[in-house]
Amino acid sequence: MGIPEIEDAGCLLCFGYNGADSHPIVARRIVRGRQKGMKIICADPRVTETARISDIHLQLKGGSNLALVNAMANVIWTEGLADTKFIEEHTKGFEDFVKVIEKYTPEYAEPITHIPAETIRKAARMYATTKPAMILYGMGVCQFTQAVDVVKGLANLALMTGNFGGPAMGIGPVRGQNNVQGACDMGALPNSYPGYQNVTDPEARAKFEKAWGVSLPGEIGCPITHVPHRILHEKDEKKRIHAYYIFGEDPAQSDPDLAEVREALDKCDFVVMQDIYMNKTGLYADVILPAAAWGENEGIYTCADRGFQRVRKLIEPEGDVKPDWQIIAEISTAMGYPMNYKNTEEIWNEMIDLCPSFKGATYEKIEKYGCVQWPCRDKSMEDKGTPYLHKDGIFGTKDHKALFYGTDWHPPVELENDQYPMTLSTVREVGHYSVRTMTGNCRTLRNLEDEPGWVQMNTGDCERMGLKKGELVKILSKRGYCITRCLPTDRVEPGATYMTYQWWIGACNELTTAKLDPISNTPEYKYCACRVEKIEDQEWAERHVMELYDDIRAQMGIDTGKGAEA
Amino acid sequence: MNYFVKGNPDLCIGCRTCMIGCVVAHEGKRIFEVDPDSYDFNPRLHVVRTVRLSVPVQCKHCENPACMAVCPVGAISQKDHCVIIDQDKCMGCKSCMDACPFGAINMTERKGHVQADGTLKKTANKCDLCYGLPGGPACVRVCPTEALALITEEDLETAMERKRAETARNTFRENHPQE
Repeated sequence: MGIPEIEDAGCLLCFGYNGADSHPIVARRIVRGRQKGMKIICADPRVTETARISDIHLQLKGGSNLALVNAMANVIWTEGLADTKFIEEHTKGFEDFVKVIEKYTPEYAEPITHIPAETIRKAARMYATTKPAMILYGMGVCQFTQAVDVVKGLANLALMTGNFGGPAMGIGPVRGQNNVQGACDMGALPNSYPGYQNVTDPEARAKFEKAWGVSLPGEIGCPITHVPHRILHEKDEKKRIHAYYIFGEDPAQSDPDLAEVREALDKCDFVVMQDIYMNKTGLYADVILPAAAWGENEGIYTCADRGFQRVRKLIEPEGDVKPDWQIIAEISTAMGYPMNYKNTEEIWNEMIDLCPSFKGATYEKIEKYGCVQWPCRDKSMEDKGTPYLHKDGIFGTKDHKALFYGTDWHPPVELENDQYPMTLSTVREVGHYSVRTMTGNCRTLRNLEDEPGWVQMNTGDCERMGLKKGELVKILSKRGYCITRCLPTDRVEPGATYMTYQWWIGACNELTTAKLDPISNTPEYKYCACRVEKIEDQEWAERHVMELYDDIRAQMGIDTGKGAEA
Repeated sequence: MNYFVKGNPDLCIGCRTCMIGCVVAHEGKRIFEVDPDSYDFNPRLHVVRTVRLSVPVQCKHCENPACMAVCPVGAISQKDHCVIIDQDKCMGCKSCMDACPFGAINMTERKGHVQADGTLKKTANKCDLCYGLPGGPACVRVCPTEALALITEEDLETAMERKRAETARNTFRENHPQE
């Protein structure tokens, strides 16, 4: 499936994905689909913009994803709505899967998900009987300790209804960043070279060793979320991390449990930061490499639908900044491995010649077609790429059959308790992208929203605590606290709080837990226990926030004179 | 007849691009000057979000507008299908804000307009349909989901004709239930 096909789906199951805030351009497709008569089922604990225009809003309790997904599968199976022909011809493991979902009746799921059993039934029927049906999922699925299981659970729904391998169907991960797909494609993962060729595969390793003229390690590397532990607590001296080269990332803002991240950056012997503006991680860096911004760069991004797209330079970088690829080439050369690329196309050509599934995606072809979805194996212009990865139900396994994978739901790691009776989930807001390195420096976006950010809370909770809109509050978990403004809204349920994670002052990652999904190593950003406290002296709080902001800006070397007010 | 911009909550995704488009249109190139404090950020429309609604709200450009009637200094006028506030004439009395039934007027500061006590003078601020700016209302142009439209007399007439035709068809059906 491709992003443009979203609007042609008969039914869209939008699960833990808030397009209007994270990808307005994708949200546009959802809105357009709605105008064309597409049915929308939105599973989200908040009334998001998609929930607002949906046919069925499954306003589930945070952390109950798999219970809901399994219950939908249960309804589809028990009510005879499954595509048995597709299951028989194209899949394996269905009997074992049925054993897992048997107990997930809508009545069983109701107290877990807080969704009435009848609503779950209606949603399952709508998804199973409206063709073609597409699933989009986002960070509301991925940022839990039970994340990969839910992705597989959603794939089960698409498999059992035969929604794979054709237009406007399937299951689409809408990524957390614009080029996450590209980073994974290019091997920015601990376990693979570019093109998903495994570092533990001796044949793949030999190929890259030959091409690059070096010997390469055969062990899987360290995921980013393990880095603090490997700096602070690793007993094996050989495994301990002493140097950390960070580019285009701000772990001191975006990673969970910031107190631990700061300690790790502090104790790490050598930290290099490469970015377009100063950020919180930069405060811990021994060396800062100023990089060119997106409009000063060229290259290729991969869209969430596997589509390679050219990115072109708008303006020449000014001053001492350089594009990332040039910085990396110079560092490498200085370290004794000369890299003499003249442009990004040379790098791209070297890469695609080493990756069979990308080999046909030349600059010329991407330029001509605008977008080429991998796999694209042949350089001839006739091979336009692969819009449907599992076309006609032919899957990438040895016997070309898809595997059902059923697991039981388990609750999030840190539940509400007496001391911390509410929950916190980190979310996005449309004006600010990821951390604030880019958009925090965009003046009109900062005019709309600025430090210290907001905590979204149910109006009933606010009334009970005597909190008004805009009032500064203290929000705490057992790991830390921050100060932010209260935003009462009935778009969120009682007991739940939501914060965006880019603010330096209202930094919700002070509170989040670093517990990970065992397979993806993604932290549980969407669930931890917290408490909101009223601040009686609001004048003090306003002053305090301004002091904190000025202090950070001073540390970063930003002019705090006149600009501090903005 | 005065024109107006109308938002469609079925299309709006609450992104507020319209508000930024509005400011950029009215501030012009000043907004890209080096000092971030050198321009006014006074959007003339506001995205409203309730539990089940997201939509921008702005001036309806009423006929014989209440705001214009109450203005003691004649700072509000009608011209070229549009109700406009002359902010230089505005004395900041807030009568128009009170009179407006749509909440379309707010009081905003303008850089460089300092009062006797040193604070910035606030004047009435509202949609002017980008009067005098090329390309029509900026909010309509920048909206990613095309949720905003400029409604002219002709558009209203076309819509009314369509509704009348629908009414006629319904009347016919009521009289001829079998057909």
